[in-house]
Amino acid sequence: MENFSVEKQCVVKVSSDTYIVVFKENISHEFGQFVMIQTTSLTRKPFMLGTWENKTAISVQVKGHGTRNIVTCENKLQLHGPLGKAISIPSGKGIAVVSISCLAAAIELHNVTNCDVLIGSKRPICFNLPFRQCVKDSEFSKALKSTDFSLYDWYFISGSRSMENLVLKTIPNKKNAFVSMEEYMACGIGACKGCAIQTKAGIKHVCTDGPVFRGDILC
Amino acid sequence: MLKIIPPLIIASGVGGMGEYLSLINKRYLGAYTLKTVTFKEKKGNLPPRMRSGDFYLLNRIGLENPGIDAFLQKLNDGEYDEIFSNTSVIASFGGDTLEEYIKIAEIIKPYVERFIAVEFNFSCPNVTQGGLSTMTKREAWMQTLLRIRKILPDTLLSAKIGIEGCFVEKAVADVRKSGWNCVTLLNTVRGLFIENGHPIAGGLSGPIMKPITLRAVYETKKLFKDIYVIASGGIMDEKDAEEMLIAGADAISLGTALFKDPHVVERIGRYLLKRSENP
Repeated sequence: MENFSVEKQCVVKVSSDTYIVVFKENISHEFGQFVMIQTTSLTRKPFMLGTWENKTAISVQVKGHGTRNIVTCENKLQLHGPLGKAISIPSGKGIAVVSISCLAAAIELHNVTNCDVLIGSKRPICFNLPFRQCVKDSEFSKALKSTDFSLYDWYFISGSRSMENLVLKTIPNKKNAFVSMEEYMACGIGACKGCAIQTKAGIKHVCTDGPVFRGDILC
Repeated sequence: MLKIIPPLIIASGVGGMGEYLSLINKRYLGAYTLKTVTFKEKKGNLPPRMRSGDFYLLNRIGLENPGIDAFLQKLNDGEYDEIFSNTSVIASFGGDTLEEYIKIAEIIKPYVERFIAVEFNFSCPNVTQGGLSTMTKREAWMQTLLRIRKILPDTLLSAKIGIEGCFVEKAVADVRKSGWNCVTLLNTVRGLFIENGHPIAGGLSGPIMKPITLRAVYETKKLFKDIYVIASGGIMDEKDAEEMLIAGADAISLGTALFKDPHVVERIGRYLLKRSENP
């Protein structure tokens, strides 16, 4: 783990509020790990590392001035990482069911495992992705219903808590589901204990025990 | 008194058990305060534990820690050796009752030489027992201070106190009368956030705390020049640190500022070093 800066190579608009920020420098990491990026907000914000056109990238959904600053600033980004536990994906065929705000991570997972990808977005997506994509909740629900999840050996799920719960209810085997969890995070390194979540195995910390957790331990 | 150069400290809680050492330039750090260890293990509060606005952070961690026995086991096993080899270390302790504070003082007696100071946290607002409530019974609290001083006669003792319950300078007067050398001003202040219609109580920190800390430091130093004051609350940059020193602080403690940028240690540490060279 290091405290360092990166230069942005480009920013790709994915939907009206979501962007891929591509870095000039490669950040060595394993799938599932994240970085904490300094913004205009009071605390750094966590972003899962992913890929865009073979470069290290993150997906950023603009929620306030801090995330907007990451997308629009011309300066180098200050950050620390890589953080969190990498996940070891089981063998066999997998599927990533993610919201558009997790696109960079999904692309990386697809590149590594050749998994299928199902993308959900509340807003229209700016271009065609080489994955199954659906806009609006109703279309996403239909896609979930029409997918035979028993054909898959493992699942990666990342999005809002309600979207993740919906997907978890749909898949047949939660043990082989890997769910990326979001909770307010301040340090990202296990110091402050702020990002606690309640699991069936007691309190876990998203920054050091996760950010990706097996579906069968989530409450 | 505390001899640290620069007079810059990482606050208890935010700094965990030394995790930030890998992100900061240690040359500019005077001391590192460990997370508060209580007599019994604490699992901490149920989530959510943290939320923020532009000028404040609200936390309700609840002193999650392994308890004094597990802490000492880890200390004996060398788990914290890296912290000691990199910087001066301040221990922080707490309890559910005043008796537990005294028990901790007895238990840690053989270990206190390892720390440049020992802080007792009398002001955490996020626990149902102990913490802030320990100061509400003033006579019993003062007796506890006296007992701890007697158990640890040669240790640099710091009381971490808040602003709630009484005027801070009155609490400091009790600390001083009990023979303690130092106070850490302040802890977080009780606050509340509403999430999904539910009120959630926590402790307030961040830039919003600066004027409150300044006043507490000022009122304390106006009355007591001889007590060492660690200013802790709302210090985000060199200007904030300078203002705390003008108000009378002897040392600066950083908490929430680390969450924004760990490099803040180098910036403020460098400033404090320069200031001491050209007073």
